[in-house]
Amino acid sequence: MRRLGGSGLGLILPLIAILVFAVLLTFSLLRMVEVETDIRVDAERNMLWVLHQSESAARRLIETTMRAELGEADAEEIALRIDLLRSRFALLQDGPQQRFMTEIGLQRQLAEMHATVQALQPPPEDFTAAEARQIRGAVTHFPAFFARAANKTMIREWDDLGGRLETSRDQLRQIIASLIGIMVTGVILTVTLFLALRLTRQRNDMLRRERDFSALLISSSGEGILAVDDAGRCTIWNPAMAAMTGRAAEQAMGRKLSEIAGFFDIAPMRQAVAASLGGKTTTLALQPYFRDAHEPPLHVDLRISAMRNDGRVVGAIVFMHDASDRHAARQKEAETRARLEHLVAERTRELDDALTRERSAANLYRNFAGMISHQFRTPLAVADSALQRLIRRGARADADEIAERAAGARNAISGLTRLVESTLDAARLQAGQVGARRVACDLTAVLEMVRARQCTASPDTRIEYHHAEAVDAIVLCDPAHAEQVLENLLSNAAKYAEPDTAVSMHLHHDDAHVHCDISNAGLAIEEADRAQLFDANFRGGNSIGTQGTGVGLFIARSLARMQGGEVSLLPDGTRVTFRLSLPRLEGATE
Amino acid sequence: MRLSVTAGLLSLALSALPLVAAEPRPVLHVTGQVADGAQAFDISELRALPATTLETSTVVTDGTHRFTGVLLRDLLTRLDADGDMVTAIALNDYAVDIPVSDFDKFDVILAYSMNGEALDRADKGPLWIIYPRDAHAELQDIRYDYRWVWQLSEIEVR
Repeated sequence: MRRLGGSGLGLILPLIAILVFAVLLTFSLLRMVEVETDIRVDAERNMLWVLHQSESAARRLIETTMRAELGEADAEEIALRIDLLRSRFALLQDGPQQRFMTEIGLQRQLAEMHATVQALQPPPEDFTAAEARQIRGAVTHFPAFFARAANKTMIREWDDLGGRLETSRDQLRQIIASLIGIMVTGVILTVTLFLALRLTRQRNDMLRRERDFSALLISSSGEGILAVDDAGRCTIWNPAMAAMTGRAAEQAMGRKLSEIAGFFDIAPMRQAVAASLGGKTTTLALQPYFRDAHEPPLHVDLRISAMRNDGRVVGAIVFMHDASDRHAARQKEAETRARLEHLVAERTRELDDALTRERSAANLYRNFAGMISHQFRTPLAVADSALQRLIRRGARADADEIAERAAGARNAISGLTRLVESTLDAARLQAGQVGARRVACDLTAVLEMVRARQCTASPDTRIEYHHAEAVDAIVLCDPAHAEQVLENLLSNAAKYAEPDTAVSMHLHHDDAHVHCDISNAGLAIEEADRAQLFDANFRGGNSIGTQGTGVGLFIARSLARMQGGEVSLLPDGTRVTFRLSLPRLEGATE
Repeated sequence: MRLSVTAGLLSLALSALPLVAAEPRPVLHVTGQVADGAQAFDISELRALPATTLETSTVVTDGTHRFTGVLLRDLLTRLDADGDMVTAIALNDYAVDIPVSDFDKFDVILAYSMNGEALDRADKGPLWIIYPRDAHAELQDIRYDYRWVWQLSEIEVR
């Protein structure tokens, strides 16, 4: 604010000084012209001399007439003197002289005297003294008149001169005052000029220092800096830029960017420079810069903005920052993240598996009572039936039959025992040792055992067993649970099979699992029941009129899942097919 | 006023005429350093010389007037005058020194007529030294004004 006021005053003061200077100069010039004119006009007046000459002429005429009376002058001389006096009157009666005589109030008298002179006749050759006296008498009062006129003229001219001198003095005084004014304004202007010059020099110094400082900043910057003019030619190329690009300033200055390096000719770079010349700032991150085809590229961040001068875009400036470290860090971070994600996915899958097994075990034990009633009933029924038959036979039974019945009963009891053990083991396993009981086991053997037992339990049902060629039936599982699952599926198949139809068992494998499909030609399971079929205590629409607890399939699936397997209902076909899948030993170990 | 002056001049001319006709009187004497000693000219001799006419104002009259006469430098050349200065002397004994260089620089004439009328001795005649005042600003100066000698009667070359 103070600076603004100062500059305003600094501008107004010289302007006023110049104005005053001009006015005073004009004024004094006009005054001087007036003085000069006065001097020229006044110098032409010479009335005193004219009157003196006139008086002298009159006296000479009087004198000549006197001399004529004495006989010393002739008529010719008198005529000359008369002419000379006449010529004086002619002069006095002409233009300027007449005006002056009018001014001093003697014109009328002068005119009368003029008439007198004009009326004078030059005397004849032989003039008399009386004639000479007559002429003298006519002009005798002339000298006194001219003396008085000269007197008046003197006073008049002195008055006039005094007045003119006073006027001239006034004018000169005004001129002197004007000149003093001119001098003062001149001093003011000189001082202002001096101050302005000093200020200009100071500003120039400041500007130079700022420029030097800017140059120092640019040259010592760690960032690469380059600038181009509006024709696209390089005007700044600092040492950091040279180090980054491997091109010296001499190779870059004055050239087009595209000639300096191919990097500056890529589309984003060209567009950014064009945009900056239009006033827009562009940032380009992690652009690869190939210094050498055989070396890995630098990764640079670029900031391209307009360079302005007085609001006008005069070029573009590019800041280039070597961000190779950041690029490397980012790469590494991405790799780490990918590895972590992979690890987490793996762990999650494992945990999901474990959770599934855990849930199955938990469900199993929650439904322990139901399972007891269901699972344990079948072997007990088998043993009871064998023993009842033995009792009924009594003495009729021979040793072989007794042995066979007893063996059947024992077989059922041992199955029951295994089941109990296994169930108890499962309770232990649930405490944190999931899968500890999984061992390699040939599913073929288990299947055979279950089939035999099913045949015993329901002798009317025909069971077909076949398997794929070269089936690898070695699985990783708890054999007791696998036996249990298969027994459930098989007994279900037998139970719901149409009369006089066969139940089939089919063993095959793929890369990871061994599958055992057990199917019958029973009633198709309704679509609505499929989803709930494996829930505990659910009985489907086709099970009405059939004895059951509704936990068989639930237990089967739970047990299968406990050992990493699955029980599923295959999509609807001509037969109802349940499949037990267990992980292959080979697939698991691989 | 002018009327009375004219009337005066006329009466003078009438009275002077028989005198001039009877015995031509010399009106100009040239003395001093001239080749054949002092020379005298009557008015008809001067009128017979090559005439020059110029128009100028004067300091003692109003307006401009047409003067006819002889160029002074021609006159001095004709007389083979040898001097830097002349003294012009009038009938009333008025005398003034004039540098000869004036006659070379300016067309100064020895006029014998004004506006076509012969100059009269009772006015400023018969001869009047006329400077071309209006043609040269430097001549508008009192130091030149006093060189306009009228009723000239003698030129002394020095």
